[in-house]
Amino acid sequence: MESASIAAHGHGHVDEHEHHGPPEAHQSARIDRTILGILLFILSEVMLFGAFFAAYFFLRVVADPASWPPEGFELPVLIAGINTAVLISSSFTVHYALEAIKHNNHRGLKLGLTATWLLGATFLFIQINEYIHIGFTPRDGAFGSIFFSLTGLHGAHVFVGLLLLTFANIRAYRGHFGPAQKDHLGVEVPGIYWHFVDIMWIIVFLAVYII
Amino acid sequence: MAAAIRQPGWYRGAIGLVLGAAFGFGLVIALRAISGLDLFQTEQTGYPHVVVPLITAPFGFLFGFGAFDYWFRWAAGKPTIPEDHSGHGAYSWKDYFKFNTDHKVIGTQYVVTTLFFFLIGGLLALLMRAELAQPGAQIVAASTFNGLFSTHAVVMIFLFIIPVFAGLANYVLPLMIGAPDMAFPRLNALSFWLLPIAGLIFIGSFLAPGGAFDAGWTGYAPLSTGAPLGQSFFNIGVQFAGASSIATALNFLVTIITMRAPGMNLWRMPLLVWANLSTSLLVVGATPFVAGAQFMVFFDRILGMNFFNFLEGGDVISYQHIFWFYSHPAVYIMMLPGFGIISEIISTHARKPVFGYRLMALALIGIVVLSYSVWAHHMFVAGMFSWLRVPIMITTLLIAVPTGIKVFSWLGTLFYGKIHTYSTAMLFALAFIITFTVGGISGVMLGMIPIDIHVSDTYFVVAHIHFVLFGGSVFTIFAGIYHWFPKMTGRMYDERLGRIHFWGTVIGTWLAFVPMHWIGMDGMPRRVADYATQYGDWNLLISVSAFALGAVQLVFLYNMIVSWRFGPKAGNNPWRANSIEWQVTSPPPVFNFDEIPRVVGGPYEYGTPGARHAIMGGEDEGAEVPETKPSTVTAPS
Repeated sequence: MESASIAAHGHGHVDEHEHHGPPEAHQSARIDRTILGILLFILSEVMLFGAFFAAYFFLRVVADPASWPPEGFELPVLIAGINTAVLISSSFTVHYALEAIKHNNHRGLKLGLTATWLLGATFLFIQINEYIHIGFTPRDGAFGSIFFSLTGLHGAHVFVGLLLLTFANIRAYRGHFGPAQKDHLGVEVPGIYWHFVDIMWIIVFLAVYII
Repeated sequence: MAAAIRQPGWYRGAIGLVLGAAFGFGLVIALRAISGLDLFQTEQTGYPHVVVPLITAPFGFLFGFGAFDYWFRWAAGKPTIPEDHSGHGAYSWKDYFKFNTDHKVIGTQYVVTTLFFFLIGGLLALLMRAELAQPGAQIVAASTFNGLFSTHAVVMIFLFIIPVFAGLANYVLPLMIGAPDMAFPRLNALSFWLLPIAGLIFIGSFLAPGGAFDAGWTGYAPLSTGAPLGQSFFNIGVQFAGASSIATALNFLVTIITMRAPGMNLWRMPLLVWANLSTSLLVVGATPFVAGAQFMVFFDRILGMNFFNFLEGGDVISYQHIFWFYSHPAVYIMMLPGFGIISEIISTHARKPVFGYRLMALALIGIVVLSYSVWAHHMFVAGMFSWLRVPIMITTLLIAVPTGIKVFSWLGTLFYGKIHTYSTAMLFALAFIITFTVGGISGVMLGMIPIDIHVSDTYFVVAHIHFVLFGGSVFTIFAGIYHWFPKMTGRMYDERLGRIHFWGTVIGTWLAFVPMHWIGMDGMPRRVADYATQYGDWNLLISVSAFALGAVQLVFLYNMIVSWRFGPKAGNNPWRANSIEWQVTSPPPVFNFDEIPRVVGGPYEYGTPGARHAIMGGEDEGAEVPETKPSTVTAPS
């Protein structure tokens, strides 16, 4: 429990008796440092997606092919739609996990985190399966490039999110985390990132598959 | 020996480097085997056997070096080692070569590393000037010349100007706001160590078959998508430098927002802090775009994608839009921290409050907002949407307004001030105002579509960029280094040598870069190794001045190195400045403060009897600390 907050804060706790350490920094904003850090990181991630969406806009609107997707490309909208539902539901489970630990419910925490992890892994599995059976490759025209880049960039984020959730799971099963905010940053921060991954998928899904 | 290998450090780093490279190489072989491709066949521009290890080897090094040890323990759910501050502070020169989490050590590491790359970038420039001294081909082949100007620009931008500001701010900013360190010290150290990696990748591209990347620092597609292997080094190096830049900016933002000393409300922050706040907002928002653009080029090159391949439905111009959406804000990333440095120095040495302090801060924010709306002025002749030209011209000219506010505020600060010019820092600050204004005006000229069409891709553009980047940014960097040298080293540099350096640099800059405006107007194209004989005389003058300018930097280096070791003790506050970093010892204690200072007034209240900026721990125990609500605090006047 302690170590989670130390990890988050750098110089979290200093034992006054053993050695001289830095003074505790004055907290000049209500927001926790780690939370602000992950939010700013997400801002830069949004801009990275923005670069690829800009490319998408140029390939679709400016280059203006006769149809979109261009002839010969077909996307499995139904499977992707089911996959979307899988990913969105995982946002609710990670929220449940956070609420559980806020009420010191360790069983709920473990349940929520495990469910989230499994849902995320399912999403990634279906996504990879979709890549294998989709019938075109990244080399097939600009559409292939942007399709695999946008969904692949998102897939990489799901992967990173899953890694963070793995760490949170390990700690949850070891009985770490507690109801105070500083003691469950290790759940809250991956959770925020996971929500971002979900929302970004909704945008990618709408842009690539639906409109 | 076995123990040395287990400990984080250079031995383990070297092993990690080798293992990382082997992992990348093996990954390529394995993937090619699975896909049924020839194991070792190299394609014309692909070279996956080089490119993938180039990505994995640095990570291997960082793992070995100890950059991720703490996070790994945390990830594995092990009890983390309580912070014992063993990786904090420098007690001998060896501590500067470790994964050190002290913001002051990291700041010094940044400044020294970036000055090293400044020298390399300068030597590349001198090689170019040697070639250009006379018309005709003399020293380097035309293709090598392309590699020279590309690496010169990339090294100067990504490894000198952007990170040196991060280094100076790393050192002084936490002290200025009364914080014991940056918000994320380990991330801070990681940001630094990504930087030499990026530098080695850029420089290493000279060893690649086909030579260094030579599509310019802009790396326009499709020139870059079809270029030899060196271009991939550029794509990858930019990712490392960009990640370093983003992580540092994020760290600055969190530090400034959450770790200010009690009483340090927004309107009591020194302008250097405001400047880094604005810069960091630009970095976090814009740098991902250059990462994205380079990823796309990289995918086109390595994976055979078609982002910029017209025949396959790609869009060539989109590269320029995405690239400049970062790279125009990037010129403010390279300038705003310098604005902050100049405000500190001018106010301190004119012994006057900054004129229009709040407007100075708001002008920075105005530049941040506007700079996202001007990217396409680099593309007036690129064949982009014609309807976008005039709106972009208007926003471009508008951005001169907040910039002008800053220039006039500095002049207002100087007006009727007691101007002390005994410090080389102040000399550079004064020269900066003049040189930067000239560069700014040529920038306004370039923002106007008709003039831009006339001088596109000529030496006029080269003159402008060097007036704002050398006469602007580099002057502020020199000013900043001279200003904080006594604080960082505890010793005073030699003012006489400083003056030689100053006058040599100013005269060299003007002689080297002013004639470029004229030959540019006359139509001499940039980025070409040879030119028409009519420009020969001016080019000879430019080359001679450039070599003089390069030579005088050796005086600077000598001054810095010798004064660091042998200079007279500087004392805590040689410039009688108000901000907090000057109220601690020189160099500052390992943990900055025993007790966080309390801020009770504005940072620039020179000339006001009894005015205080901060009350340090241990003094004035009973002093009243006013309320810290921003609305109830009167503006520093």
